[in-house]
Amino acid sequence: MNHAVEARNLIKRYRNFTAVDNISFDVVEGETFSILGENGAGKSTTMRMIACRSPLSGGSLKVGNFDVMKNGREIRSMIGIVPQENNLDPDLNVKENLLVYSRYFRLPKHSIDKRCDELLDFIRLSDKKDAKVDHLSGGMKRRLVIARALLHKPKILLLDEPTTGLDPNVRLEIWEKLEELRSVSKLTTILSTHYMDEAEKLSNRLVILSDGKIISDGVPREIIQSNVKKYALEIRGLNAAEASFNHPKIIMQKRGSTHIYFADSMEVLTPLLQRFAAKQPILRPSNLEDVFLQFVKN
Amino acid sequence: MHLGLHNIHISDALSVWRRNLKVYLRLWKTELIAPVIEPVFTFFAFGFGVGALIGSNVSGMSYLSFVGAGVLAFTVLMRTVFEMTYGAYFRMVYQSTYDAILATPVNAESLAAGEIFWAISKGVIDSLFILPLIVIFGSAESFYTILAIIPLILGCLYLGGFALGVTAHIFDIDNFNIFFALFFSTIFLCGAWFPVDILPFWLQIIAYLLPTTAVIDLTRACLSGNFYARHLYELIYLLVVSFLAFEWALRSIRRRMVV
Repeated sequence: MNHAVEARNLIKRYRNFTAVDNISFDVVEGETFSILGENGAGKSTTMRMIACRSPLSGGSLKVGNFDVMKNGREIRSMIGIVPQENNLDPDLNVKENLLVYSRYFRLPKHSIDKRCDELLDFIRLSDKKDAKVDHLSGGMKRRLVIARALLHKPKILLLDEPTTGLDPNVRLEIWEKLEELRSVSKLTTILSTHYMDEAEKLSNRLVILSDGKIISDGVPREIIQSNVKKYALEIRGLNAAEASFNHPKIIMQKRGSTHIYFADSMEVLTPLLQRFAAKQPILRPSNLEDVFLQFVKN
Repeated sequence: MHLGLHNIHISDALSVWRRNLKVYLRLWKTELIAPVIEPVFTFFAFGFGVGALIGSNVSGMSYLSFVGAGVLAFTVLMRTVFEMTYGAYFRMVYQSTYDAILATPVNAESLAAGEIFWAISKGVIDSLFILPLIVIFGSAESFYTILAIIPLILGCLYLGGFALGVTAHIFDIDNFNIFFALFFSTIFLCGAWFPVDILPFWLQIIAYLLPTTAVIDLTRACLSGNFYARHLYELIYLLVVSFLAFEWALRSIRRRMVV
């Protein structure tokens, strides 16, 4: 298996704090790899280091066998970056945004126009190609940023919190596009997110970062299985007396006004489900959020 | 010593330059009105207003001839400085254009160079529109007039570089006020509206240390065709300062953007 990214004992220190604290991970070619964590956990800093925008304070980082400290140009030629904030050029229209950007990659002149139309088609913005960027909806802007990152047919796509601040239906739309992209190419995708559902749905493997350290890594399903029980029963609005409940196979966790009971089989949770039927409990498979909140709690 | 200058890829800088040109061409009408209106009114004010009070020759020429170089250099330099302060700050901070560009193979030095080249080009375009006005107003008498482009380019290089370096150090747009206070107060000493040699000696020293004085004096030499040995020293001084300011801008943009 070839590695698209190899991080060894990666450290990033700013004057008075350590943003990334000695982390190591590999990203396998062709997979979707997520970096999961809360705000300030070190996700964006890690992404910036991969994108050669942030010199390392320690350790080593290779992207496609190039060293980020030496071969910035080579690396940036083979990665496509979708930043956290849209940074489309408001002084240019939709198609010009792609055309002007393609010059930075020195793409051959004769093929640029065709490539731009192809991508506008892919993100379904062909009829908006002369529109001002400011007139696009949030979802359209996001799609255009993704198209811009694909102009030069990158080997690795970096997405920094790709759906933060977007409506639920737009998030679904972006996820669909990313899945479509994966189905047609062997693109390696690295995404940072603080949405558990996003990481779980999109990634083959992930690391969970907290305070600049990796606190868990692996395949989403396995992380969930090894860290929490399989099923979760959520009940809202229980008082303390109702909620307290001792069962050797059930673990209880309180989040805000919601109590969550975890167990490895649905049968164990059924009595609870019946007892509190009036509270409209929700029985669901455990997810990464359950794992994440446990880690953060501890 | 490793110079930031060595990291520049000319064709990358050119791509950045072309981005700015594209935006400029879309806005060219508004972009060109300012550099034409400003000097016309400055001419009215200084040439006909102040000039009417000055009967005698100034530095061996009529005041109208004298002040032409000042009007030209002042307009061009001021616009370059605006481009490399507010213009660059908008692209860097509010529009994140620099972030978008640095996500491509283009590096920080090429980006900064492209920005400065653009500021210079804008200065040249402005000069080409103002020069005919200077001729019409009768301030340019020499065949060497067109050579005034050279000191103006160097002026844009040094001031554009210096301004971009300042921009790279600014985290609050209001801090430009200090820079502009300095810029606009010192430019009055630089021989745009009156000859530096009528200043008290200690002020003359300050004036000659300011590279803008050299820009204006050299521009005036080209418009009048009167060249002296001091113009050679001024040219050398301007070249050195331009190089330093340019290098400083490249390093400052890298320090700001790659952290």
